[in-house]
Amino acid sequence: MISFETIVFYLLAALSVFAAVRVITARNPVHAALFLVLAFCGMAGIWLLLEAEFLAMTLILVYVGAVMVLFLFVVMMLDIDLVQLREGFWRWFPFGVALAAVMVFEMVWVLGNNRTAETGTALVKHDADYSNVKELGRLIYTDYVFPFELAAVLLLIAIVAAIALTLRRRKDSKTQNVAQQVAVKRADRIRIVKVPAEKRGE
Amino acid sequence: MTYLSTLVPAYAEIFLLVMVCAILIVDLFVTDPNRIVTYLLVQLTLLGCALITVSTYQPGVVHLFHNTFVDDMMSDVLKLLSYLAMSMALVYSRHYLMARGLFTGEFMVLALFALLGMMVMISASHFISLYIGLELLSLSLYAMVALQRDSAVATEAAMKYFILGALASGLLLYGMSMLYGATGSLDVNAISAAISHGVENKQLLTFGLVFIVAGLAFKLGAVPFHMWVPDVYHGAPTAMTLIIGSAPKLAAFAFVMRLLVESMQPLMMHWSGMLAILAVLSMALGNISAIAQTNLKRMFAYSTIAHMGFLLLGVLSGNIDGYSSAMFYAVVYVLMSLGGFGMIMLLSRAGFEADNLDDFKGLNQRSPWLAFIMLLLMFSMAGVPPTVGFYAKFSVLQAAVNAGHIPLVVMAVLFSLIGAFYYLRIVKLMYFDAPESHVPISMQPDSSVLISFNGLAVLLLGILPGNLMAVCAVSVQQSLLLH
Amino acid sequence: MLENYFPVLLFIIVGLAVGVAPMVLGRLLGPHRPDSAKLSPYECGFEAFEDARMQFDVRYYLVAILFILFDLEIAFLFPWAVVLKEIGTFGFVSMLVFLALLTVGFIYEWMKGALEWE
Repeated sequence: MISFETIVFYLLAALSVFAAVRVITARNPVHAALFLVLAFCGMAGIWLLLEAEFLAMTLILVYVGAVMVLFLFVVMMLDIDLVQLREGFWRWFPFGVALAAVMVFEMVWVLGNNRTAETGTALVKHDADYSNVKELGRLIYTDYVFPFELAAVLLLIAIVAAIALTLRRRKDSKTQNVAQQVAVKRADRIRIVKVPAEKRGE
Repeated sequence: MTYLSTLVPAYAEIFLLVMVCAILIVDLFVTDPNRIVTYLLVQLTLLGCALITVSTYQPGVVHLFHNTFVDDMMSDVLKLLSYLAMSMALVYSRHYLMARGLFTGEFMVLALFALLGMMVMISASHFISLYIGLELLSLSLYAMVALQRDSAVATEAAMKYFILGALASGLLLYGMSMLYGATGSLDVNAISAAISHGVENKQLLTFGLVFIVAGLAFKLGAVPFHMWVPDVYHGAPTAMTLIIGSAPKLAAFAFVMRLLVESMQPLMMHWSGMLAILAVLSMALGNISAIAQTNLKRMFAYSTIAHMGFLLLGVLSGNIDGYSSAMFYAVVYVLMSLGGFGMIMLLSRAGFEADNLDDFKGLNQRSPWLAFIMLLLMFSMAGVPPTVGFYAKFSVLQAAVNAGHIPLVVMAVLFSLIGAFYYLRIVKLMYFDAPESHVPISMQPDSSVLISFNGLAVLLLGILPGNLMAVCAVSVQQSLLLH
Repeated sequence: MLENYFPVLLFIIVGLAVGVAPMVLGRLLGPHRPDSAKLSPYECGFEAFEDARMQFDVRYYLVAILFILFDLEIAFLFPWAVVLKEIGTFGFVSMLVFLALLTVGFIYEWMKGALEWE
């Protein structure tokens, strides 16, 4: 008898695989980005089945909510030439397939080896009042305070780097700075020049 | 207050972080002509860090923040050398960057953030802090390479660096997660204990190790994961190349020590074989490709690959002598690399890069002193006695011989002989060829004094390597035996 | 724990059904007689002369990336808020340090003019 959770898992897994395949096969990069959103949603569901609820929420909140917006901006900013983008696809295809095959083989070898009933550890099921967020919260801000503060530094670097790399004044901008206009003094705008009197031309 | 007093070993990091934030804000109020204010603040910060690290020194190993941070003698020594390297790099690059309009507050702040990342890597004893330290360093470096926004080459270099760096981080993380799965911990000491107790799933452990070594090799730029090195070294503005090629190598050494040696010592027979392949390939490809280069920065990039091969040779020997000689090698490499790139920047001027081999033709006629310093640096990189480069190579080879890696040593000697050719070619260009340009070299007082010291240090340390070697040996010994 | 999320699953299924059903019904029941005039893009009666997509200004990107950074900050605040009573003063102060660091970043971007849209 297949449990209800197993059915949900396979549905979500099928959805994720379908979406991931469409990400790399979709002709339109905007569609590809939207399929990536779908893949993220599917993965969030799978993480939720693993009882990693905080990670699932963060995946939706941060990746679907923010990172994908950035992706879409970038896709639109780049104005990609699709024909050019697809040129090398078939040339590199065998290489990519070979690499993927090696990875799958290794994963099966490593993970499949210990799938016997005795050693394979079953997932711990928790009660209804168990909260993964609380478990994380108890650790992050106390035991892992050092990496936690460093994470803030990482975000700070990202702020500095993003501003240093993308902020530039537009030369064609016609905005007026009202404060500057009000603060103008007479001396800034006119200059009184003493011109010596000359005789009328003769 | 009582908690703060337990943080004494981390005061240098905390001080640096507070100062970076202060500098970031102060720099907003500094106008371009007065950028020297920020620069002086940065140098003062580095000095302050050095004073704190020296004054909070305590013998033995201290763990902090639930074992995510470790303070031992190796970390103190490497941190002090990183401050020095960063400070020297900033002195060399000031005029170069000013001439190119890149001498901004952001550059200096990112350099300090990179330094913070290195410090975290150097004193990490937990996979999470190792990884975050690495990301702090890498993220700052990516941004620094891209700072020259209107240069297509620099942008391309930043792009390659970023994509391959992100891939390497992914590999590392994947490997770390495998190790976590196999041992149930991310703490370096706990992992080492778990592995020596015996792990149920051996495949998982080996799998994780392979990914970690691949990620490390990417970050070090060892063959076959070296593709980004020449393009990044060549494309980035020389000041950024200097920063990438100097202090981070010290952090990389510490990273290798913490990740492979301290946490996976019981698996040594597995990783030393992988490192042997990386080392031989790096020495071969680095030295042979460097011969074909006409651009000095590109040549140095290939020579870096070869030097990293040598460093790995020291690590894979797997004994205290090997580790301390590798540490010595890393320190010496940083010193030589600072001098080499510093010289390129000293000879460059606004709108002109002295990064082609031809630009060094007849340097002896234009400035005999600079030519002599460059001669010392090149001799040291080639490993000619009595410079320190010779001693560094010698001690690595000695350790490898003692560990029984005779075929590796033979190959290392062979490839460094090949490598000597392209270093000595520069000496020939400087002394026996006629100069192509007669533009006077604008000798900036600070960087020309510094480069003199740099060159002479290479010579002096070569004559008297004992003290530095002893420091390396003692610090490696302490951190391995006491942790 | 998962039983708490069963309503969410139901909600998603119902939401999908409500979204998909009208489209399917429309396609099945509606008349379907396309011709070239109906299918061509309509642009105020003109022939369309360029692709609908256009290049975005790089400043959108800056705004988006700054948004992500502060979004991540929020993500860190959730678990903290849930366990604030258990982690005590230490946890409280560690979050304050975290926020202070990001506030430095915020001051920097404000003063730098990254939040202005000219």
